[in-house]
Parts: sequence; C-alpha cells; structure tokens
Amino acid sequence: MRMRPLEYNDIPAVLAIERASFPDPWAESSFADEIGRTDRSWKVAVSEERVVGYGGVMTVGDEGHLLDLAVTPDERGTGLGRKLVWELAADAARAGASRLTLEVAASNDIALALYRSCGFDVAGRRPGYYPSTGDDALLLWSRPLKPHLAAMRAAAAGEDIILAVESSCDETAASVMRGGREELSNVIASQVDFHSRFGGVVPEIASRKHTEAIVGVVDEALEAAGVTFEDCDAVAVTAGPGLVGALVVGLAYAKGVACSTGLPVVGVNHLEGHIYAARLLDPDLQPPLVALLVSGGHTMLVDVPRWGAYTVLGGTLDDAAGEAFDKVAKLLGLGYPGGPVISRLAAEGDPGAIPFPRPMLRTDDLDVSLSGLKTAVIQYVERERRGGRDLRIPDIAASFQAAVTEVQVTKTLKAVRGTGARAVVLAGGVAANPALREALRSALAAEDVPLSVPPLGLCTDNAAMIAAAAHDSLVAGRFLGLDADAVPGLRLDRKM
Amino acid sequence: MRPLLAFDTSTDHLAIGVGDLDRPGAVLAAADVPAPRAANTMVLSAVERVLTEAGLEPSSLAAVACGRGPGSFTGVRIGVATAKGLAHGAGVPLLGFGTLDALAWRVWRSGEHGSRGLIGIIGDAMRGEVYPALFEIEKDGVARLDGDRVAPPADVADEWARHGDAIVLAGPGLSKHRAIFENAYSGRAHIATERVWVADGRSLLDASWAATGPSTVREVVTLERSDAYRIAHPGALLPVYTRLSDAEEAERRRGAIGAGTGTPPPSGVTGPAGGDR
Repeated sequence: MRMRPLEYNDIPAVLAIERASFPDPWAESSFADEIGRTDRSWKVAVSEERVVGYGGVMTVGDEGHLLDLAVTPDERGTGLGRKLVWELAADAARAGASRLTLEVAASNDIALALYRSCGFDVAGRRPGYYPSTGDDALLLWSRPLKPHLAAMRAAAAGEDIILAVESSCDETAASVMRGGREELSNVIASQVDFHSRFGGVVPEIASRKHTEAIVGVVDEALEAAGVTFEDCDAVAVTAGPGLVGALVVGLAYAKGVACSTGLPVVGVNHLEGHIYAARLLDPDLQPPLVALLVSGGHTMLVDVPRWGAYTVLGGTLDDAAGEAFDKVAKLLGLGYPGGPVISRLAAEGDPGAIPFPRPMLRTDDLDVSLSGLKTAVIQYVERERRGGRDLRIPDIAASFQAAVTEVQVTKTLKAVRGTGARAVVLAGGVAANPALREALRSALAAEDVPLSVPPLGLCTDNAAMIAAAAHDSLVAGRFLGLDADAVPGLRLDRKM
Repeated sequence: MRPLLAFDTSTDHLAIGVGDLDRPGAVLAAADVPAPRAANTMVLSAVERVLTEAGLEPSSLAAVACGRGPGSFTGVRIGVATAKGLAHGAGVPLLGFGTLDALAWRVWRSGEHGSRGLIGIIGDAMRGEVYPALFEIEKDGVARLDGDRVAPPADVADEWARHGDAIVLAGPGLSKHRAIFENAYSGRAHIATERVWVADGRSLLDASWAATGPSTVREVVTLERSDAYRIAHPGALLPVYTRLSDAEEAERRRGAIGAGTGTPPPSGVTGPAGGDR
C-alpha cells in the first residue's frame, strides 16, 4: 500500500468508495474542483494498483480542516483509515496547521471510532447538520499535531522514548522505554503491605495510595532513566481492565501531563501489556504464539497470530488462578497474598498426597474452572479437622498446586495444538509459580515448542510492559484524547 | 504575568478559573458547568478552552491549584491526579484549597448575606451524611472557623442553630437535607439561592489566595519558580477525604470492640482522616 496525491483519473474510483460510505456523498464535480487548490491536500491510498481509500484536508491559518476521508469497505479495520488521517495531518502540519478539525455524523460509529483512536476529542454538536438524513454533526478536534507526528516518526525508527504509567490494581508503577524494547527504568511501588491485613486488595485504599505515590514513582523512573519529560515522545497509561478507581488516577495523571507538555497519550490494555512483557525478555520472540495469562484477576489462554491481534481461546469460568491461591491460603490461615506462601510450602509437600479433582480437564474447550477445586480443598480440610487429624499443610499446598498446574498445562497444550503456535508465553503474577513454570516448560519441550517466561518483576504488574505495548500503538498512530476515560472491563481484543 | 490555573472536580459541578499570581483577585477567564460523574472526561478539554479564552497555553502556567475536597472520593482524586499531572508536566508548583472554602467564597461574592454573621456550607457526603464547614463573614472575605469533617446533617443543624448568629446556608448537601436545616433554625436561617450552591471560577481563585498552610498560594507567591516548585512539589499535595475506607472503618470498629476501650487503634493506611489544611 502506498499514498500519493489524488489525480483526475482517480475520481471514478474515489466516487465509488464515497457513495458506498456516506448517505450524503460528495458530488463528482466537487472532487474535480478540489484538485490543484493550493490550500488543499488530497491523497489516495493505492494497493495493487487499486484505490482503496482517500482523504482531503484544507489548511486555513493554523487549522487543518479534514474535508473527507473514506476507506473501501473490504479494507476497513486494517488501520488504513488511521494511516490516511496521519498522512493528511502531516500535510496540514507542513502547511502550518497545529491541529486538525472535522465534522462527522453522530451516527457514523466507524468514523467516530477511527478519529477517537487518533486522539480526537468531541468539542461540540451541530443539530440537524446533514440535510438529507437530519443527522447531527459532531465537531471533533485533534490534539497538537506536531508532537504526535514526531512520536510516530520516532517509533517508526525504533527510537521513541515512552514514559509509561500503570495503576490498574495495587502497584503504582512507571517505566521509561526506548524503542519498545530497551528498558531505561522500571519502578514499582507495591502497596501489598497495606492490603495484606484485609486479606485482599481494598479498592479504595489502592486508589488513595496511587494518588499519593504517582508523582514520586514517575520522578524516580525519569531520574533512573536519566531523562526529563522533554526527552519523552509519549506518555503511555493503562486504560483497563482493572479497578476503576485505581485506573482513573493513572489516566487522569497521564492526561494532565499530556495537556501541559503537549505529549501524546497512548492508552494500553493491561492484559496486552502482560503479553508484551515476554518480548522484553526475548526481543526476537515472534508470533504466532499462545499466551497463558494467569494472575489474581485473570486466567486466560490467548491466540496471538501477530503482535497486536488477540483471540481469547478460553478462560476461567469462576475464580482466577491467583484468586484460587489466595482463597486456599486464607482457608489454611497462611495470609495474603496466597501465591508465594503456597508455592513455598508446596515445595516441602507431596503433590500426590491428596487426590484433589482436576476440574474440566477432559472437556473439549479451553475453559477452566477453579472454584470446584477450591471447594474440594475446603471440604478436605473440614473433614480432617472433624476427624481430629493434624493438617499436613505442605501436602495440601502441593496437591492443590499440582491440580491447578495440571489443568493449566493440559489446556495450554491443547491450545498450542489447535492453533499451531510456535511459542508459548506465560504471563501474569502467577507465572512466578515455579511448579507451573517447570511443568509447562517440560510439557512444551516434548512438543518442541519454546516457553517464554518473563522474569518475576515483569510478570507481576509493572509499567515496562505497558511501555512495550505502547510502542506498537505509537507505530500504528493510536492515541487517546483528553476526554478518554478508564474502561474497567476492557477486553483483550478491544483497543483503547 | 504568572498565570494560575485553579479547578475543582470534587462535586458534580466542575469549575475552572484562571488568575495571575502577580495580581491577587484578577480573573483572566472562568467557567463552571454541571459534570455529574463526568469529571475525568470533561475537565481537561474544559481547562484547554478556558486557557484559550485567556489567551494562554497550558505550557505557560506558573502554578496549578486544585480543590482537595472533601467531596466524592473519586471526584476529588480525578481533580488531584489531573492537577498533579498538569503541574508535574509543566514543572510548576501544585497548590491546594478546600472545596468547601470555594463554596463559601461563592456565597460571599454573591452578596446574599449581611455585613456580619456566618456562612454555613453543607457538602454532600452521600450515605445520609454531610461535609459541614462554618465561615465568618468579614469585610474583605470569609474566615474559616472549623476543620473538615463528616457528620449527620441533624447533628450539624442542631450545633449550628445553637450558635444563634445570623447564618446564610449553601452547598450541594442542601438538595437532600434542606428541611433538616430549616427545621433546626425554625425559619431563621437564610438559604442562599441555589445558583450559588456550587463554586465558580472566581470562587476557586478566591479560595486559592485565602488558603493557608503547605502547598498554598501564600506559601509560594513571593518565591522564584524553582523554589516554588520545590516547596509545593506536585507529589506533596493530597486529597482531604474525612473518612477512612470502609475496610479500615470496619477494622477500627472491630478493634474498638476488641480492646474494650472505645479508642480506635491508629490506622496507618490511608493517612489522616481529617484535613490538616
């Protein structure tokens, strides 16, 4: 695909796309009239000698007015629209524009999603603007063009410096990353001590602690990297999923920084970040791969055919893996968080001592259920206590862990065989569990599939992984506007 | 000129004002708009518009001030976190003022009061409670008489009514609890028109200039920028909640029962419950 200026010969093809795209299409004569005007730039996107998209911009003073932009229906969803927006933005910026503005029909969800993904904000509404449909027009404005274009250029050259912030749960984290792979700093302020006495993360406490810590954590990350805000190309921030009150602190802070520095904001899906953590460890890691994402909040198997594309193959129907560890630890009086202590005790126990069930091991799908296993542990403990027998805590821990591990490993192997993945990424806080790592590694070795496990500090929540994912968003020209909000239930297959 | 941006998202009403650290009382631009549960999506675009109206860029700010609450926990945090980002990014001091103080200044500016007496501000604390604050009317403004707290509206109404002084009441908490205050005062209280139950840009700037203590305009107004940034670093300013988290409240109650003394143990988790302003 390449871009070139619109020519008279293109008009029939452009007109066909225009008519397939808008209820109020431009007339043929209007396009002809645009060509050659000095204050305009019109571009067509050409793929295999076919016009697949086009757009035009008019620059007046320091304002670029996006006049028209459309992509042929079968090429939508490929990022072509965004490429056109930024191509025209670059033309407008060269002609003196500092921002882009445009009107879009309020009912045109596809166009709205495109412009929002470029960081445009809705600034106003013009009722009944479109005569033939009576539809309202929304008035959109871009963020400052220059820093956005500069950040995209830096990212394309692999030289972008991203400051990333993560506050989705109970770690306040910041990281500075060059080119999406070179970690310049990675600072994490854990709140776990403040939550442990309540037996789990208290959302209100998490939000308060993020507010207290965020500036100090960012200062530390900038200092450790030896950079200032001025050296950065973009601010990245986790936009979801997570605790809504915790997410908004990081997002509000990041947008504030963006507003006063002019830096672009990139919104990152936290789950996508966990998968990108593997690429920090292993820069040559290449899809297609399967990711097993296991943490306190998530347990899922993901097909990653290429970076940035995800299909959730299966997940937990009830408790997340980390949650199951926490609940069993609580039952056994071992405190919070449960993962590390169970893992430690399990090392001293016999994994075959108690035959806990392997829920859903034999089902055909890739889903797991862990609450039945948890119930089995509860029942076992009650039975032993009723019988007046001493609990062999290490055996319980080892047997429980063995059951969780076997289910995860079996489902992961099934996913690998089903997708033809060439590598497996183990990510999320539960990836710190040595038994799971080892079991998965040896099972995959038998299949000749390598396992990539990020180091512990990159498995648990951190901002380096957010920066790594943000790099690819920068390359794709994906940004947030100032009116972006946190999305606590953001799905892995949904971009911000 | 040293532009000062002030805003508050602690209530359902978003207010923004732009002043000048070199000219106390100056208002370069102001806006206020209802924004129920929408602070995070509305505040920065509104800030940009107000700054543009004043002919300013965000990068030209000399200081940022924000309302510290009390108010909606999330609303307060959105304001404080946004302000931290703005001030941190610009490398300028972050200053604070009380949300209820700004409301009192709004009433004072409205002229809906006598030359002396009290202004009683009632913030909405949800869960059937209010954030009360009492102010004395003076010739050139209002003076705060008490600290931030959360209380049942009936207790506040009885307590204030016993003062016997002339009082003007205002604040978003009146929407739900107006009758309680009217009854306590047996009709002697003057309730300000609803228009001034919320802050506007000017009242935020008034409250910013009047605030005392660390991270306030008074602390930094005479300082060079780098000193001001160090003294009122964006990391230092914290919200005023007046309540602990529910988990800590429950723990405190359990602790009090367990100890049998009625004295809660120190929480040590989410900082001081009250507002040391």
